[in-house]
Amino acid sequence: MTEAKPVAVGVEASVIMAELRSLGIDHVICIPDSYQKTLIAALQDDPSIRFITACTEDEAMGINAGLYMGGKNPMLVIQNNGIFASINTIKAIPLDARIPTFIFVGQFQRDPMVAVEESRSRAVRMVEPTLDTWGVPHWRLEGPDDIGNIRAAYEKAHETMGPVALIVGAPTL
Amino acid sequence: MERNEAIEILAEGRGDAVSVVTMQSIYPWHQAGQGEIFHVDASQCMGSASSIGLGLAMARPDKKVIVLDGDGSLLMQLGSLVTVAGQSPANLYHFVFNNGLHQSTGNQPLPAVGRFDWVGLAKSSGYADALRLEAAEDLLERLPDLLAMTGPVLIELVIEREDRDPLWAGVPMWKQTALLKEQLEAS
Repeated sequence: MTEAKPVAVGVEASVIMAELRSLGIDHVICIPDSYQKTLIAALQDDPSIRFITACTEDEAMGINAGLYMGGKNPMLVIQNNGIFASINTIKAIPLDARIPTFIFVGQFQRDPMVAVEESRSRAVRMVEPTLDTWGVPHWRLEGPDDIGNIRAAYEKAHETMGPVALIVGAPTL
Repeated sequence: MERNEAIEILAEGRGDAVSVVTMQSIYPWHQAGQGEIFHVDASQCMGSASSIGLGLAMARPDKKVIVLDGDGSLLMQLGSLVTVAGQSPANLYHFVFNNGLHQSTGNQPLPAVGRFDWVGLAKSSGYADALRLEAAEDLLERLPDLLAMTGPVLIELVIEREDRDPLWAGVPMWKQTALLKEQLEAS
């Protein structure tokens, strides 16, 4: 009998941190997410990054805009439900005001053994269709082979002057 | 005080502070000639003004940042008071225009008007200080000292009801964000 293989596997926080450092990220605005716990801990420990905890994703988008206009290189770390919670702000700030907004989105309640499309969680299934509806480009981080998607997403945000999402499909390690 | 009185005093006294302005203060701020100098509107995103101001204040601690907020707007993202306090930006001055109304949509009253307290909310959220001003003369007299305080400071401005159609400046926010970024890079 063969063992079922996971659809998504976690990526080491240290590997993600190396990518973020190479992109020159200097500020992270976070609404905590259980799928990115180890990444959040690593971000909090990094003296080259100012870590900001916000109360809501709406606030995080505004803070990101202010930092960007002030010459900084920020990003957001949130969970899938945060996308649903902040649609009006995504419309107004990253999209209409044309602010590069680089967002890590944890797939809270995703079973990594199951494909996103077959997830029992509506939040997991609907995050990508929601982003598509609003024209927000997105990439998946489903394992170590996807590490290049971090840079691809970041560069797209700055090329298009708008929001992009990097969807973290399994808990970071 | 009247909104336009407060706007004129703040326009005269801002110096080279960066301004973030929302809702029904946007139009008079532009009319007062403040719309193209170190400025951005927070439009179509009620409640975001203080968060944008926080980001600017953190990015540029060498500059003062003034936020001209509305009471109805701030209620929509009330937790931002705590987020601002969490970062303690010494250069952030948060003016809240309090008329107890959602003026942009027809002067509908806010919930619990007269029973909640902006100064109390700001102080209990962790702002460095907070105060309430009712008269334009007080704002005029105290503004230089207010802008010399260590922030974040919330200044509640009690303003009179205005019965007029809502007014908008009509400048797209993306033009302002690009201009402000350029001006800050050059300064």
